[in-house]
Amino acid sequence: MEQTQKTDVIVTEDVTKVYAANGIPVNALNGIDLTIESGEFTALVGPSGSGKTTFLNIISGLDSPTEGKVWLAGKALSEMSGNELSDFRRDNIGFIFQAYNLIPVLTVEENVEYIMLLAGVPKAERHERVLTMLETVGLKGVANRTPTQLSGGQQQRVAIARAMVSEPTIILADEPTANLDSKTGADLLEMMRHLNSETGMTFIFSTHDPMVMERARRLITLRDGRIDPDETR
Amino acid sequence: MIRFSPAEIFREEGRQFGVTAHGVCLLIYMILKIAFRNIFRQKRRTILTALAMIVGFTLLSVTIGLSDGAYGDIISMFTRNRMGHIQVHRVGYLDKPSLYDTIDGYTAVGAVIQDVAGVEAWTPRVYAAGLGSVGEKSTAVQIIGVDVVRETQATRFDKKIVEGTVLAETPSHEAVIGKNLAKTLSAKIDSEIVIFSQGADGSLANDVYKIVGIAESGDDATDRTACYLHIKDAQELFVLEGRAHEIVVIVSNINQVGKITNAIEANLNDSTLDVAPWQAVAKSFYRAMKADQQGDAISRWVIMLIVAIGVLNTVLMSVLERTREYGVLKAVGTKPMQIFWLVICEVVIITLGSICVGVIFGTLANYLLSIYGITYPQEISFGGMKIKTLYAEVNIRCLIIPAITVMASATVVSLFPAIKAARILPARAMRTH
Repeated sequence: MEQTQKTDVIVTEDVTKVYAANGIPVNALNGIDLTIESGEFTALVGPSGSGKTTFLNIISGLDSPTEGKVWLAGKALSEMSGNELSDFRRDNIGFIFQAYNLIPVLTVEENVEYIMLLAGVPKAERHERVLTMLETVGLKGVANRTPTQLSGGQQQRVAIARAMVSEPTIILADEPTANLDSKTGADLLEMMRHLNSETGMTFIFSTHDPMVMERARRLITLRDGRIDPDETR
Repeated sequence: MIRFSPAEIFREEGRQFGVTAHGVCLLIYMILKIAFRNIFRQKRRTILTALAMIVGFTLLSVTIGLSDGAYGDIISMFTRNRMGHIQVHRVGYLDKPSLYDTIDGYTAVGAVIQDVAGVEAWTPRVYAAGLGSVGEKSTAVQIIGVDVVRETQATRFDKKIVEGTVLAETPSHEAVIGKNLAKTLSAKIDSEIVIFSQGADGSLANDVYKIVGIAESGDDATDRTACYLHIKDAQELFVLEGRAHEIVVIVSNINQVGKITNAIEANLNDSTLDVAPWQAVAKSFYRAMKADQQGDAISRWVIMLIVAIGVLNTVLMSVLERTREYGVLKAVGTKPMQIFWLVICEVVIITLGSICVGVIFGTLANYLLSIYGITYPQEISFGGMKIKTLYAEVNIRCLIIPAITVMASATVVSLFPAIKAARILPARAMRTH
């Protein structure tokens, strides 16, 4: 890893999110102040409804806070337009979802290269990057299959390849092992930890899977929309 | 802040390529690829959407084909069988017909007309009003002096004879009268009709003619008063030697009427003569026909509305079902406008395919209807013209108008689902199942 200096990748300041559930305001997040540095392999843990997914959505610009500010890679998300946010997400954030969320009409190769197509990367470079990435996640032989022809574990590997192929600043994974058996989940976690070590990319997971917590280097616990003291290993 | 170099390179390259023509081409390619695959992924929905469009296209095509066919037939009957495509009169005659307003030396005028490109035939006519008597019955008649040979060439005069024979080619004191006039006067073939009127020189014009034929022009009003004489007999009766009131011109292509009218006017170069196309001669008929055609537009709007509602329903359902997918696309960096175009592209692709199929069905339906037609239980009348069978016309309008209509309505109604898809909030969209 060539990283010589840690930088603040994510900074949140007094982030609050209030939802209206049947007309009754519900505080999903209550004044979260948090800093995440580059290269971290962090797990955001807490019981269901603690605000993990809401927090991930807000730090990725998929949702906006009711109050407070978020800086990602030095940019204030609240100051960006819809198109700027799209470009910013494309260039800086890789997503891994619990339900994989691959594009069903595209093949494995096309799903992985999709973000590069959006960025206008030339074909030869796209092809090379996709093959390298599929090899990295152990899916070299299934490039032409569609997501429905893959197992859950394979689909999640494709999602990881898609998230990482553009070498973003940060990878956000929302319950990435929730739909996988324990062995597949463990394998994927090992792979992501390895990629984190190799590339220096920042990984943030939301999870309540003990296996993920064991492997995380930093644990951030969310409870009722607030952060408990950090545990760094 | 320090960036990792591979990511930085990727981002810079991405931005660089994103604004180039190559980047735009890649986006179009990607949108089209996803759009095509989505179409084939939801086969049943695609077929339903396409069916709505194909049926709409075919119905529109047939409506236009039948409408054009009917009006074509009416115009053909009205012009070809009666008034011609172009008429030449003395200036002012059309507004206030008078026995004295004649075209002098009509043979020379006719020769000039015949030389104009596109003119198929011409025929002179003499008109006068009078009293016709057969036996003890009398009624007002309109005497129409015709050049039998030219009239037959131009307006198929011989085909109008329903009883007896056509007039002799040389003046023989013969008359052909309208069917309804024959009823009024209880006239039969070989009856004698006495005509009383006034000559152009002020003298009393009266003579006896032998009825050799009974004619049916297709226009009841004409058939109630028409009494056809040989033009020479009419000229002799009204003291109009070498003169006619009207020259009727038939052109080979009715769509060229305006152009040929101008050419005749230029070639005649006579300020005392008025050259008018059939639309100007029969203003009220033309206006009535145009108004009727506008009425047909209502049925087209109804068909278009049905197609639009069908398309809106299926496209909206498709967008709602794929809310989660659009959320994912947005989450990974797809711009709202790209999602908007993705939805529009899907609709446009289905529409183009449907139009291709619609062209085949529409043309086939119009072709069959142009041969077999639709026969009414009873004759219908328009502008005095009677129609029993409605035939369609196969023309480019039958394809162009439905194509534009279906494409426009499908695109317009898909704007709402497309905007809805483009404005989806990714976080909320990905929570849907």
